[in-house]
Amino acid sequence: MPTFEHPALAAALGNPGGSFTGTDLRITLPLTRTLLNEVLAARPSGTPIQELYVDPEGGNRFRVHLSANAPVIGRVSRRITLAPGPAVRFPEQPWFHLSIVDGLKFLDKPLINLVQGQIERRLPRGVDVSSSYLRIHVPALLTHLGYQQFVPLIQHLELVSAPNRLVLQLHLQAVSAPAVVL
Amino acid sequence: MHPVLKHLINTDFIDLAGSRIEGQFAITDELVNLGLHELVAQLTGPANGSSEKLPPAAPPKSTPATATLPDPKLLLQKVKVDHLKYRTEAGRTVLELKAGL
Repeated sequence: MPTFEHPALAAALGNPGGSFTGTDLRITLPLTRTLLNEVLAARPSGTPIQELYVDPEGGNRFRVHLSANAPVIGRVSRRITLAPGPAVRFPEQPWFHLSIVDGLKFLDKPLINLVQGQIERRLPRGVDVSSSYLRIHVPALLTHLGYQQFVPLIQHLELVSAPNRLVLQLHLQAVSAPAVVL
Repeated sequence: MHPVLKHLINTDFIDLAGSRIEGQFAITDELVNLGLHELVAQLTGPANGSSEKLPPAAPPKSTPATATLPDPKLLLQKVKVDHLKYRTEAGRTVLELKAGL
């Protein structure tokens, strides 16, 4: 976790479950296609991915358009349809899951399986890619980023696709730790 | 300024329309007291009296970051507050709120 100069802020973020006990917030954040693509356009340069666009649709499906330079086969362009999975709930459902429902060609899946080990070595801890899904183990990723203390606050984290926007729904709750009976 | 933030300002935050927050935000008395002690320490600390011990401040080489931050009013003008209530209870301070963009 980043270090903070102010003791109060450091104490609060170092133990959010204790410092914010009683907090119970539900946040709905609709993100338009335009904004999402502005965010993607601001991604760091120098990666193999040359083009990356997202296109949210109804029916809880969204499309991702990407072009990348792949080893051996050169430039690859794909339009992949993704379906968000069930909400993340700590601790019983830690996975943020996106199913790849369409867009991979016949030859892509063996290729992805072939290079899966290489992909996994480059991904942050907690991110798992296969030919049929992309999933993120939220506690592992937050721990990798140094924010593991925020994991118990996650009561509900869900992404829903609607026409022209992705809607992020988040429920955060800081509850008192149960008393220890000796 | 980050390009995404610049885009939000230029488009009048329309891309965040429909955002909502509802519930309560609570902080413990311990955290409030820690913050108060920190405030007192800053007000009574050696910052004013020991400036002669410090090397002279170098002139800024570029525009300070704060100069590029947007006026908070730009966003706050878009916020519709339906409910806002401050209260205290044993051991904590609570702010109830319901608001949206």
